[in-house]
Amino acid sequence: MSAPAAASAASAAGTGVGPGTGELARIFVRLKLSLLRNGLRQSSARTAVFVLSLVFTVLFAAGLLIGLIVLRGGDGAATLTVLLTGLLALAWAVMPLFAPGGDETLDSTRLVMLPLRPRPLVAALLVSSLVGIGPLFALCLVVGSALALAHGAAAVIVSLLAVPLALLICVALARAVAAANVRLLTSRKGRDLALLSGLLVALGFQLVNFGVQRLGEAGGLSALEPAARIVAWLPPASAIGSIDSVSEGRYGAALAQLALSALALGALLWSWQRNLTKLMTSPDGSTLGAAQESATGGESSGTLSRLLPEGRTGAVMLRGLRYAWRDPKTKASWVTGLAIGLLVPLFSAAQGTGSVYLACFATGMLGMLMYNQFGQDTSAFWMVAQTISTTREAYEELRARALALLVITLPYTVVTTAVTAAVLGDWGTLPSALGVSFAALGVFLGTGAVASARLAYSIPQDSGYKSVAPGQAALAWMSLFGGMVAALVLSLPVIVPTVWLHLSGDRGTLWLILPAGALYGLLIGWAGLRVAAPVTAKRLPEILAAVSKG
Amino acid sequence: MPDIRATGTGGTDAGGAPVAPPAVRVEGLWKRFGEQIAVSGIDLTLPAGRFIGLVGPNGAGKTTTLSMVTGLLRPDQGRVEVAGHDVWRDPVAVKSRIGVLPEGLRLFERLSGRELLAYTGRLRGLPGAEVDKRADQLLGVLDLTGSQNKLVVDYSTGMRKKIGLAAALLHNPEVLFLDEPFEGVDPVSAQTIRGVLERYTSSGATVVFSSHVMELVESLCDWVAVMAGGRIRAQGPLADVRGDAPSLQSAFLELVGATGRDTAHEALDWLGGGSAGGAR
Repeated sequence: MSAPAAASAASAAGTGVGPGTGELARIFVRLKLSLLRNGLRQSSARTAVFVLSLVFTVLFAAGLLIGLIVLRGGDGAATLTVLLTGLLALAWAVMPLFAPGGDETLDSTRLVMLPLRPRPLVAALLVSSLVGIGPLFALCLVVGSALALAHGAAAVIVSLLAVPLALLICVALARAVAAANVRLLTSRKGRDLALLSGLLVALGFQLVNFGVQRLGEAGGLSALEPAARIVAWLPPASAIGSIDSVSEGRYGAALAQLALSALALGALLWSWQRNLTKLMTSPDGSTLGAAQESATGGESSGTLSRLLPEGRTGAVMLRGLRYAWRDPKTKASWVTGLAIGLLVPLFSAAQGTGSVYLACFATGMLGMLMYNQFGQDTSAFWMVAQTISTTREAYEELRARALALLVITLPYTVVTTAVTAAVLGDWGTLPSALGVSFAALGVFLGTGAVASARLAYSIPQDSGYKSVAPGQAALAWMSLFGGMVAALVLSLPVIVPTVWLHLSGDRGTLWLILPAGALYGLLIGWAGLRVAAPVTAKRLPEILAAVSKG
Repeated sequence: MPDIRATGTGGTDAGGAPVAPPAVRVEGLWKRFGEQIAVSGIDLTLPAGRFIGLVGPNGAGKTTTLSMVTGLLRPDQGRVEVAGHDVWRDPVAVKSRIGVLPEGLRLFERLSGRELLAYTGRLRGLPGAEVDKRADQLLGVLDLTGSQNKLVVDYSTGMRKKIGLAAALLHNPEVLFLDEPFEGVDPVSAQTIRGVLERYTSSGATVVFSSHVMELVESLCDWVAVMAGGRIRAQGPLADVRGDAPSLQSAFLELVGATGRDTAHEALDWLGGGSAGGAR
C-alpha cells in the first residue's frame, strides 16, 4: 500500500534523483507503522500478545532505567553501564541471525524497483529502524547509563552526543549484520558460511556465559573492571565510556572514545550500504549452488531412505533430515544448536568451573528445534495438511518429526555428556546427567509438539532478514519462552530428585536418575504428542493460515 | 499409453449418465476477512466427470472458494460436499478422493522433483514401490525426467506447476482442483498439462480449475461457473452460459457488468510517448 506511495513520491520529485532523505524517512516510518498495524489487525489474540510483550518490555526497561539512576555516582556505575552497553550491542548484532522478530520491518530488497539512491535509502531505513520495541528498550538503557554517569555540564553535552550515537550504532549494527547475512545465505559459497554465523552466535554466547561466571565467582563488579576498561574503548560502549571520561576530567580520552564510536557508525553504514547495493543490483546466486548440491545428494540419501521405516514416518523423517542439510535457515539453527550445545559445557569444564549437567544445554538447544515445526514448512504445509484427516495421521506426522530430531540429538547428547564427563574426570555424574538430558529431551519434544500445534507462526523464506513475519514476533517469543518455562517446570520431577540426591550425598543411588529420566522423558514426549495430535488435526486450516504469512 | 489409474472407485464411464453424486456441492458458503467479504453465500453444484472452469476477474473469490472446498481454509458458514462427502465433517473420505494444486502456496522446494513425489506419495499412504513407479511415469509424461534430480527451488514456473500437478495426481484422485494451473506457464508446458488433464477427464474423473483466461476455459471446459464479487453469476454447461454472445469473453463481460467502460482516456491524458520528462 505504501510502496506505491514511495513510488509516487519518487516520481513526484520529478527530476529522477529520488526523494530527499527526510521525505523518504517519513515514508518508511509510515510504512513500518502500517505494516505493524496491519499485522496486528489480522487477529485480536495477536494484538493481545503484542500489547503484553510491549508492557513487559516497557516495565523491564523502566526498571532498568530506575536501577541505573539509583546507581548514579556509585562505585561500579561506569563498569556496569559500559558492560551493559557492550552486551546490548552484542545482542543487536546477534539478533538478526538468531532471534525471531529481530527485524520485522522493511525488507529493502523489495524496494529494488524504485528509483532510490543508496545513501538516502540507508539513512531512511536507519531512521525507520528506530521505531519499535527493541529500540525503545535500547534507548532506556543508554539514557539510563548516561544519567548514571554524567557529572557536570561538559558531561551533559557529551551525553547529548553519546546517547544517540550509541543507539544508532546498535540499530545500524543489526541492519549491517542482517544485510551481510542475507548475502551469505544467498550466495553460492555463503551457503556453507551459514555454518559460520551459527558458530559466531555460539562463541558470543559463550563469551557472555564466561563473564557471568566470573561475576559469580569473584564476588562483585570489581572483577569485571579490567574487562570494562577494554570494552569502554569498543563502540558503542565507548560512547558511554566517554561520558564517564568527561565526568572524571579526562577530556582527551573522551574525545577519542566519541570519535571511535562515530567512526564505527560510519563504517557500519558504509558496509551496510555496500551490501545493500550489491543485494539490490546482483542476482540471487542461491540457485546455482542448489543445483550442484542435488546432483551429489542422490546417492547418500538413497542409503538413508532404506534405513528409515516405510510410509509416512520414514518419508517425514527423511524430509526433515534433508531440510536440516539443504535449507539454509534450518541448517543455521542446527549448527547453532550443535555448536552452543558442545561449547558451553566444554568451555566451562576446561575452566574447571563446569559440571556434567551443563551438557543438558545441548539437549535444550536442539530440543528448541521442535518448536514451530509447521512454521518451518512455510506455506508448503498445505501438502501436509492435505494428507492429514485423522488424529492418528497427525500423531504420526508429529512423531516422525520428533524422531527426525532424535536421530541426531540423542547420540549427540550422549557424546557431549560423555566428553564433558571425561574432561571433568567426573564419570560418577554421567548417568544422572544423561538421565536429566533424556528427560529434558522428552519434555522439549512434547512441549514443542504442543507449541507447534497451538502457536504456529511464519518464518519468511524470501528474505534472510526476518525469521518472523510482521505482527507475529510476539507470538514467536511466546512460543519460545512459554515453551522454555513449561519445559523447565515439566523437568522439575527429574531435576529436584537429582539435586536432592546430590545434596544428601547419596551418590550410590544417583544412577537411578538415568532410567527414571529416560522413562519420564519418553512418557512426557509421548504425552505431548498425544495432546498435540488432535489439536493439529483440528486446526489444520488455522495452522496453514498462520504459517503462510511469509 | 501407461495406465496410471490403479484402483479406480468404480469408474464411471465418460459417456455414462452421472447417477453418482455431483463432484462438488456447495451450499451457502461464506468467508469474510475482516471487513472484506471474499465469498458471500454461494451455492454451486458441479457435475462429476466434467472438465469444469471456475472463471472470474482477479479478486472474485475463486481462490478463497477453492481453498474452502479443498479443506485448506475454514469457511465462516456453509456446507461443502465433495463426491457426496462433507469436507469438514468427513475429511478422511474427502482428502483421499481429491487432488489439489493451489496457487500462491509453496511446495517443499528443497526437495528434488522426484523426492517431492516420493514424499507426497508416502504421505498419502501409498506403498513405496507403487509411488516410485507412478512418479516415474508422471515425470515422463510431464516431461520432467531430465530435471527430476534438480531441487524444486530451481524449477521454472511451468516446471513447478507440472510437478505440483504430478503430486496432485499421484494418488489417483476422483476430483482434481487446480487454481490457475496455466498462470505464467509457457505454451509448451501448458500443452503438456492440457494433454494430461484431458486424458484424466476422459477416464471419468473431474477437473475443477480456476482461470481468468476465457479463451482457455472456452477451449477446455464443458461446464463453467462464473464468479465475480464473491458471488456466482452463472453456472451450467458452456453453451448455456455463453448463450447468444459470440464468445465466452463477451458473455463474461456482460455477466460481471464490465461492458462499456471506455471512458478512461480523458483521465490518462498525460500518458503517452515522448511527453514525459527524463526517466532517470
